[in-house]
Amino acid sequence: MPPSVTHQFTWPRRTANRVRGLSRLSPTAAAGVVIIVCFGVLALFSEWFMTHDPVSSYPNRILQGPSFEHWFGTDGNGMDIFSRVIYGAKFGFGIAIPAVIIAVLIGIPVGLIAGYRGGALDEILMRIFDGLRVFPSIILALAVVAATGQSLLNVVLVLGFLDSPVFARLVRAEVLALRSSNFVESAIAAGNPTWRILFFHLLPNTIQGAMAQTAVRAAWAVRISATLAFLGIGIQAPTPEWGAMIRQGAEFMVTGQWWVAIFPGIALIFLVFGLNLLGDGIQDILDPRRRASK
Amino acid sequence: MNLLKITDLQTHFVFHDIDNYRREARALNKVNLNLNRGEILGIVGETGAGKSLTAQSICGLLRPPAKVVGGSVLFLGKELLSLAEEDLNDIRGAEIGMVVQNPKSSLDPLTRIGDQLVRIHQTHTASAVSVARSKAIAMMHAVGIPDPEKRFSAWPHELSGGMAQRVLIAMALMNEPKLLIADEPTTGLDVTVQAQILELLKDLVRRFEMGTIIITHDLGIVAHYCDKVAVMFAGEIVEYGTVTDIFRRPGHPYTKQLLASTPEKLKLNEAGSLGGQPPDLFNLPEGCLSQDRCSLASDQCRTPPPVITLETGQTVRCHFALQ
Repeated sequence: MPPSVTHQFTWPRRTANRVRGLSRLSPTAAAGVVIIVCFGVLALFSEWFMTHDPVSSYPNRILQGPSFEHWFGTDGNGMDIFSRVIYGAKFGFGIAIPAVIIAVLIGIPVGLIAGYRGGALDEILMRIFDGLRVFPSIILALAVVAATGQSLLNVVLVLGFLDSPVFARLVRAEVLALRSSNFVESAIAAGNPTWRILFFHLLPNTIQGAMAQTAVRAAWAVRISATLAFLGIGIQAPTPEWGAMIRQGAEFMVTGQWWVAIFPGIALIFLVFGLNLLGDGIQDILDPRRRASK
Repeated sequence: MNLLKITDLQTHFVFHDIDNYRREARALNKVNLNLNRGEILGIVGETGAGKSLTAQSICGLLRPPAKVVGGSVLFLGKELLSLAEEDLNDIRGAEIGMVVQNPKSSLDPLTRIGDQLVRIHQTHTASAVSVARSKAIAMMHAVGIPDPEKRFSAWPHELSGGMAQRVLIAMALMNEPKLLIADEPTTGLDVTVQAQILELLKDLVRRFEMGTIIITHDLGIVAHYCDKVAVMFAGEIVEYGTVTDIFRRPGHPYTKQLLASTPEKLKLNEAGSLGGQPPDLFNLPEGCLSQDRCSLASDQCRTPPPVITLETGQTVRCHFALQ
């Protein structure tokens, strides 16, 4: 009699479902997930990966090219670029995530109320938000950060506020479609006050599109904050922020020290690229029509 | 005291058109209705006659451009039309239960049905979740949902139309209302389910002694399940009385036409149809609103018809009611 298999290893159900879920993603979305996870690990555990202190300078090793000691070379202050690029991931996420959270917290309630109430309130709120969208965002961010004082907190607040119209518009459009639907009418007939209808019924039913946008808007925030730092607004060198590092490296490009600007530039491109791919992936998952066509 | 007393209710659609002209569609024209506890009133009429609008006006569910412009709705002596939104919210869902049209789309798609029932109970009472939960399961049982404990955590999209309708009725009844308004409770359901739902409603009305308004365009439903009937045409109640009286001896020409157009006992070919269109609500005719579609219409009909009470007690809005 053959020995019966008494215990066969099976993945726990939820883990198995998750793995299968990831493999169902399109290759581009999966690449996005992988890139973001890598950067996330770098940002959270940068101490494990850095070979040097990102802000201590080695005065006798200024502007050295890539070597075994300094993998990405050293910058004009003699700081290790490899460690600085890794540490910079903290700033990428540290600005993008709170900025998107602020944008969501402002934009979604405004979109809900404007869409549901309609009329004059809708007009006023939407025109204010249109006003924000009219200015090129970099110029507006530049002006506001320069006026309110140059700190990391101000950059985050300004980016969050400037980005809130995106979420307000998305949610408002969904609310407009749903506010005269039967289940909302039935909720009113059940004696629900307006705030309950907005947050218990309309919010869960309208939030999908906005959630799909979060990754794309995070990419935007990373890009704009790096641009601000590049222009010398907000975060200043020697802080290991990619935009500020590129700014510092730009002047060495002409004299041949390419590594100072190139490496933070590549990191920036990958993070923005990964966030955009992830955004596309989320949209694919949420949109049943796009999912069905696969 | 009447449970519900509607006097001269007028609801208009008021808006400005593209050339900024003020346009006014007179959708409800002086509707009068009375309802007592334990009574089932059927409101019948063709599409656009103002049946649903009457229900929405009672519950304050109108959205601009629709607006109540006159009249009064007394519910247990309280004037609903002048009530503040918060006070109205205390009544809606608690003392007035409403079953809106289209059961499948009237449930929040992202909330389990049990939670929707629990929520409506907790909106109006301070009861604990466990109490609300057992009440919800009892109510699901009462409306004939099989296996309520299991269905408690079902999603709306998992329900059939009949089940969704039962859930909606259960929601309307959760707080044991004194008045139930069911707007086309069986439209879109097949006939056997229709009969089950209406039997159930009738049974529940008797049990809870609710006043009930059923809005429908099915005369068969009215004949079988209602005590009283109001026939609406172009935003007016043209005839109102008990079901037996009106079906035995309709007083208004429109009611007669309506009854004659019912296919009966395989004599489908003999069913008459009503010619013509309902009048343009933007431009109502002088006098009787049904004059264009009435075979009895004469010059007299250019003056507003009186409301005549026949010896049976039914009221008829017609010059020729006594003939």
